[in-house]
Amino acid sequence: MSGIRLPIELAAASFVAFAAILVLPHVLELFALINATVYVSLAVLALSLALVWGFGGILCFGQAAFFGLGGYSYAVAAINFGDTTYAVPVAIGVPALVAAALGYVMFYGRISDVYMGAITLTLTLILFNFVNSTAGDQWRVGAAPLGGFNGIPSTPPLNLPGDPGNPLPPEWIFAIAVVSLLICYILAKLILRARFGRVIVAIRENERRAELLGYDVRAYKLGIFVIGGAMAGLSGLLFANCVFVSPTMFSLFYSGQIIIWVMVGGLGTLVGPVIGAILLNLLTTWAGTLPEINPSLILGAILVLAVLVMPRGMLPSLATMLGRFRVAGGVT
Amino acid sequence: MTALLATEHLTMRFGGVLAVDDVSLAVADGELRCLIGPNGAGKSTLFKCLTGQIKPSAGRILWRGQDITGLDSFEIARLGVGIKTQVPSLFDGLTVLESVRLALRRQARERAARAQALATLERLGIVELAPRLVALLAHGQRQLVELAMVVAPEPDLIILDEPTAGMSAEETTRAARVIRALNAAHAIIVVEHDMQFIRAIAKTVTVLHQGRVLVEDDVASVLADRRVQDVYLGKADASPRMVA
Repeated sequence: MSGIRLPIELAAASFVAFAAILVLPHVLELFALINATVYVSLAVLALSLALVWGFGGILCFGQAAFFGLGGYSYAVAAINFGDTTYAVPVAIGVPALVAAALGYVMFYGRISDVYMGAITLTLTLILFNFVNSTAGDQWRVGAAPLGGFNGIPSTPPLNLPGDPGNPLPPEWIFAIAVVSLLICYILAKLILRARFGRVIVAIRENERRAELLGYDVRAYKLGIFVIGGAMAGLSGLLFANCVFVSPTMFSLFYSGQIIIWVMVGGLGTLVGPVIGAILLNLLTTWAGTLPEINPSLILGAILVLAVLVMPRGMLPSLATMLGRFRVAGGVT
Repeated sequence: MTALLATEHLTMRFGGVLAVDDVSLAVADGELRCLIGPNGAGKSTLFKCLTGQIKPSAGRILWRGQDITGLDSFEIARLGVGIKTQVPSLFDGLTVLESVRLALRRQARERAARAQALATLERLGIVELAPRLVALLAHGQRQLVELAMVVAPEPDLIILDEPTAGMSAEETTRAARVIRALNAAHAIIVVEHDMQFIRAIAKTVTVLHQGRVLVEDDVASVLADRRVQDVYLGKADASPRMVA
């Protein structure tokens, strides 16, 4: 990895982000802009799994759990505080804490990869079923009713810090989502470039060798898992700001889709899953307008095609075609 | 003098099978020690105990007199023990240079690590491989890259598990030379079963048989020992017990 590549990549990402913030609100209608915000929030979710799975080598089916926890924590905290200022750290902190507890049990308990997939998936399903069954007035956290399968339709939108009387308009929420995605991307880049990230990649390559070199593999895996959980929580917060929180955030639909975004976009890259998430969501939304076809069928067909035609995903395959693909681990 | 690494009555039981049975041995600073024995003698199990991959059922492992029984692999590595496995254990998706830098990263600053990694590759005569992807290397080169990762942090002790496995006679001779050269700076334990190789490198040899220490002596005496010949040629009751 050359020294000037990182600044160029970060500058390019920033340029795209700010161009989107300046242009899209003027071009898109309100409904389309809110949809765009949803896609960006889901791109943050894809990025979180890109980090945990693509670089940490941890196939986590539970990213949707952290996504949902982020959304619900945000909604519950915002309703109770009457202000979203402190709901933001809660939305990131709660999923991070749950990831830390779950990760501690999994990694320090030396649970194998297959079981890890099963455990994370189970957690998601438990949360889905639990939240689904919280209809009725007895299920409330402070002032916030959990609402069962209806979710919390009164999820308040973000306000300026300390100014609860002024909820932000959708243009602002869009800008915040894009900036959040940019920050997460830059953060992920810096993490992977730092010592911590190099060791994470080494562990993905060969866990035993990393251990024989004196690295405490459990601690590193826990670290990346918690970062991924926090990022997924942020994504849930952003999602809650465009729609509202409901149990579908914990559903198999999302847990499965995130994996598809990352695979189709390119496992082991960061930009790939972001693009994958946005493109596939655009596609499924468009397919949803077609009366004859079920969008899930299209998504399934794309996954099968992608695995057959470009098993490494969109971005690496594209890069190979352009002849720029370098050594694995260097391409992010 | 306190031994660098010692075991006291080390025992590893798998169900009803005694894979390692009351083994006590001591390796001094700077020593080159071979652990040999026919298949099923308990060599690999002993290797796994010494490197923290399995916890012994009984007995102790001491590092400079301190009890390290039950430590994890990474903790044993941090004491200053370099471990080379039988099948090269490598980072296939990384470059050779990055691999060796990772071996150094725990102790050296970024820039110093790079220089030291290159110096290590130079010392092993594979500096030209530095930018290559590990996955694309030939078997012999992979062995050397793993060795570079093991020796780069200058460990006090290197433990090699069957370093000549899968090597040609010529490669074995070269490996013997490399190991003797390494012994100038590091204590080494070699787990092997190839007697020719042992003859070429060893000073002191510990012979394991059915999980126990059969003989421990200098290489000439061991090779001349009647019991050792019986064990290797199968005259004694050498049929391996059910040992992992």
